[in-house]
Amino acid sequence: MFPAEKKGEWEATKIRERKATNTPNKTEANGQADADITMGEANGTSDGQAAAEDQEDDPKFEEDPTSEEGAVYPLQDGRIVDWSCFFALLTHIYNTMGPPFHTPILVISQPTWTAQDHESLTQFIFEKFKTPAFCLMDSALAVCYAYATPTATVVDVGYTKCDVTAVNDFLVSDLGRGSALPRCGGEAMTQRLHDLIGGKGFTNDVCEQLKKSPICEILPPGTDMPAEAEANAHVSNPAAAASTGASGSGAGQRGSLAAQGGAARGPGINTEVGDADEDREFKEGEDDEGVLDVAAIVASGKTSEFLAKKEREKAAKAAAKKDAADAAAVAKERSLPNSKRVKATFHYHERRPLEELNMNGKRAMDGETGQDGGEPKRQKTPEPGVDSGAQTTENAAATRREERKEERRRNREGTAFIRKSADVGLERFQAASGGILDQIADAIHRCILSYPDISKRSDLWDSLIILGNGFKEALIGTLNSRYLISPSSATIFTSELPSNFTTPVATGANTPQPQHHPPSHHGPGVNPLLLAATTASNPNLAPPGQSQQQLHQQLQLQQYHQQQLQQTHQHSSHAQTPTSIKLLKMPDYFPEWKEVGMEEAGFLGAQVAAKVVFVVDQGISKGFMSRTEYNELGPQGIHESCL
Amino acid sequence: MATGQASTKPPDANEYGGDEISALVLDPGYSTTRAGFAGEDVPKSIVPSYYGLIPSESTPKHTKQLFGDNSINIPLPRISISNVMSKDGTVEDWDTAAKLWEYAITSRLTNTKPTPLVSNGLNDPNEDITEDITMEGVEEQEKPLGENPLLMTESGWNAGKDREKGIEIAMENWGCPAFWLARNGVLAAFASGKPTALVIDIGASTISITPVHDGLILKKGVTRSPLAGNFVSNQLRLLFSSSQPPIPITPHYLITSKTPVDAGAPAQATYRAFAPGTEPHPSFRHFQEERVLTEFKESVVNVWTGPGRLGGHSAQGGTNMDAARQHPGKPFEMPDGWNQMFPALDRYRAIEGIFDHKMALSDANNPPPSPGQTVTALISSSLSQVDVDLRPHLLGNIVITGASSWYAGFTDRLQQELQAAYPGVRVRMVASGQMVERKFGSWIGGSILASLGTFHQLWISKKEYDEHGSGIVEKRCK
Repeated sequence: MFPAEKKGEWEATKIRERKATNTPNKTEANGQADADITMGEANGTSDGQAAAEDQEDDPKFEEDPTSEEGAVYPLQDGRIVDWSCFFALLTHIYNTMGPPFHTPILVISQPTWTAQDHESLTQFIFEKFKTPAFCLMDSALAVCYAYATPTATVVDVGYTKCDVTAVNDFLVSDLGRGSALPRCGGEAMTQRLHDLIGGKGFTNDVCEQLKKSPICEILPPGTDMPAEAEANAHVSNPAAAASTGASGSGAGQRGSLAAQGGAARGPGINTEVGDADEDREFKEGEDDEGVLDVAAIVASGKTSEFLAKKEREKAAKAAAKKDAADAAAVAKERSLPNSKRVKATFHYHERRPLEELNMNGKRAMDGETGQDGGEPKRQKTPEPGVDSGAQTTENAAATRREERKEERRRNREGTAFIRKSADVGLERFQAASGGILDQIADAIHRCILSYPDISKRSDLWDSLIILGNGFKEALIGTLNSRYLISPSSATIFTSELPSNFTTPVATGANTPQPQHHPPSHHGPGVNPLLLAATTASNPNLAPPGQSQQQLHQQLQLQQYHQQQLQQTHQHSSHAQTPTSIKLLKMPDYFPEWKEVGMEEAGFLGAQVAAKVVFVVDQGISKGFMSRTEYNELGPQGIHESCL
Repeated sequence: MATGQASTKPPDANEYGGDEISALVLDPGYSTTRAGFAGEDVPKSIVPSYYGLIPSESTPKHTKQLFGDNSINIPLPRISISNVMSKDGTVEDWDTAAKLWEYAITSRLTNTKPTPLVSNGLNDPNEDITEDITMEGVEEQEKPLGENPLLMTESGWNAGKDREKGIEIAMENWGCPAFWLARNGVLAAFASGKPTALVIDIGASTISITPVHDGLILKKGVTRSPLAGNFVSNQLRLLFSSSQPPIPITPHYLITSKTPVDAGAPAQATYRAFAPGTEPHPSFRHFQEERVLTEFKESVVNVWTGPGRLGGHSAQGGTNMDAARQHPGKPFEMPDGWNQMFPALDRYRAIEGIFDHKMALSDANNPPPSPGQTVTALISSSLSQVDVDLRPHLLGNIVITGASSWYAGFTDRLQQELQAAYPGVRVRMVASGQMVERKFGSWIGGSILASLGTFHQLWISKKEYDEHGSGIVEKRCK
């Protein structure tokens, strides 16, 4: 929000011409959807859908110095630092949505919000918006709703911070929760890029664009950085390699990763559908347009524009063919997947004031070479004031809506963009080299290992949710290489011991049992627990969960546990964790979310939760606070009913 | 805005129920400091009592203090780790402790700058509140707890001066409207619903026995010794260093990646290198090693559950040591990938010292415990200090609390030991099966106490403090 002329009042926009919805969303991007507001209307998700649209338009990690001038961010690292500004933001969002009078409101709360923050917010919402019901939901819990899982470890990497939360049975564990790890967000990666290549004249803004560009990758640990020599290595199937990043198609440089048991590398950030077009263009015929992300194009409402663009692209490629001889070397280089190239060309926009451009239009960009084979002319063309949707040409990633939106918006501001290219070396793989991954990985380890119910820890390791772009494999790789406990080779015992035990008894394990003390009944014989452990859990003798005998023994074991204090049971069935680390599968019943990714899963979860809490449950489980309750209890009553 | 003025006024205090006063409960311990609102079932804010210190480059005297889990686990250049508590469970460094507690409270419970709800509406000119909540920033001019009564816990052997210091910080620094100081042993008994109990609290640094009668502490019966969680950690360190070959403990922060190796084989890991001069202080390493040891204690260490002591003889005539050798071991993998099956004897041995001083490992830095320090001896000496008539009653109501009581088999063993020591008496123990309840027993008791409507007349109010000074704590909080 921007301070208005009158002190204490706030404007949503700095520049009037701009579409109003852009700004609040941009503001929210600061705290990574810190204040998703869902209007959980009775049967409809019309409001919710609208909000979802807004959210998708929200340019993530976007930075824009000019238009942000003087902007005040009410949320910093998730904390509410400026209340009046935050309230103004809420009001603005509310007014923009214009919900019917009796609309319940659900707000996703940040882990860093204090109890007092909750009260202030409750009071504001009830008294300003006159809402009949209000629900405050923890961001990690919202993500669990989106993934439809009761148990998960939610790693939410935001703009400047990262939250790590263990959720079990829809209960958020405060113990060991890594809330708002400072300097662990996307901004820190931009900063790191800037530190690395800032000397080459790249501004922060450019680094931000570089970070988002497909050539910027975070390689899983153990992946060798491409060396100069490898640039010419033979690749058997370049197209496949480019589009999937599959190690098999390369010359085997990735063998090291597989040997280390690292996670199989899925498509990276740059290999999303359509992104690889650039690499493909030179190899495949001009008739082959590659895979088009049709849905994205249609959704962005730029179909005609896109088609026109494609036409131009074809022409450009025809031109490029003529220079084939020159381009051959480049093409060879290009045919390698990004992660194996020493250098990659990167297209970006630089903002220049119009006047400067007019005076100095032909200024060469120092130190930046256009290696862009067939399209040397495009690179330095100033494009003042026109709708620049058409200029997003060769880089298919630029079709991403938000970027175009951003561009159009900027163009309206009287500044112009110069489209430039630059070669970026290996620095582009090092955005997270500043220790972010280590820090997040350590926080995950700490968070899960301080989860009080020891038997649940391996479940938590097996249900990681990582919200954020591009570094999932790298983070999983880091976790695997640092924390994974491999089965011990020396003995018949393996670390799988707990899973054998917990599977059949898991449901009963949480049932509170009456406190009683077992008599000291151990005879001189062997402790039945140990007996069971020695025989039942040897995977060489009996595959887990399959042999009758084992089941029988587990039953015995369970009976034994009934006599024991519950802690004994939980304790002895435990061995070290993690024996496996898995990402939770994204639910497939929200197909429209699959395309945009689940980075804003919290919002989806809030939509689900709003429906459940306000409509299905109707307050039976005290999922929300009603107006009556508010009148009775005051703002403090929110602690009784917040999720 | 049809309702206009009326709805923006804060609800009147009288409208609230008696227990809706949002009292805070602060329970400082050696390992963690717990803070939260009274009436809740778990503390919202759990902050390590350890804090980080970063010496500044220019002025060697001036150091930066770091609080909270997020900050003190990062191997920052030259970071060192200290603790605000002393080894015997009382506050050692009051200045830092006050800051740490304030951090614990303001980071999760109340704001650093609580704005009254009436005045933080839209039209208030307070746009200059933009400063970040930094670690140093917790020292604000405004009193952070102006609206919250504070119930603080203390150990049963807390000295009079320290007690007064507590109320001074609460009243002077934080501006609390009311204050109360309660013994953590008593609170743990409350948490188990027992007004009369013998509370055995096994924390990180101290094991303490507190006899409680009708909600009042029997001070002369309070006994304590350092054979608690950290003692077991040190036993493990001794065990590791005495094994052949010695087992190194390499904490996680030193490892970049590890490779699976065969059991007992030397570790093959890539280690993290620190530029000279930026290595963390050894205390940081020690603190991080403790994390590994905690994991080890959780997954491997087991209490010998008898019959008899580990050093004793079994009914068949063989030694229990021999019997223990027959028991299966448990594998453990160190952060660097080194792994081994730890034989059962080692698993029992590490903690046996708490029960049997003869079995404790020792070296020059870790002197062997005296016979009077074992948990059984502590209970005996505690009971010998209380009225004879009360003893059976206390033995029938033993409350076990503290995170270090979580070792597998601990309660069984204690039951056995006590039954052997007091053959004619019915020994009954209450130990929660929930780790959270075990860990935060005294906090939960405080939460219960402070939310009781009848407790409110007991608070020491600010006015009383102003009249009588800090000495009032001695008079009121017995």
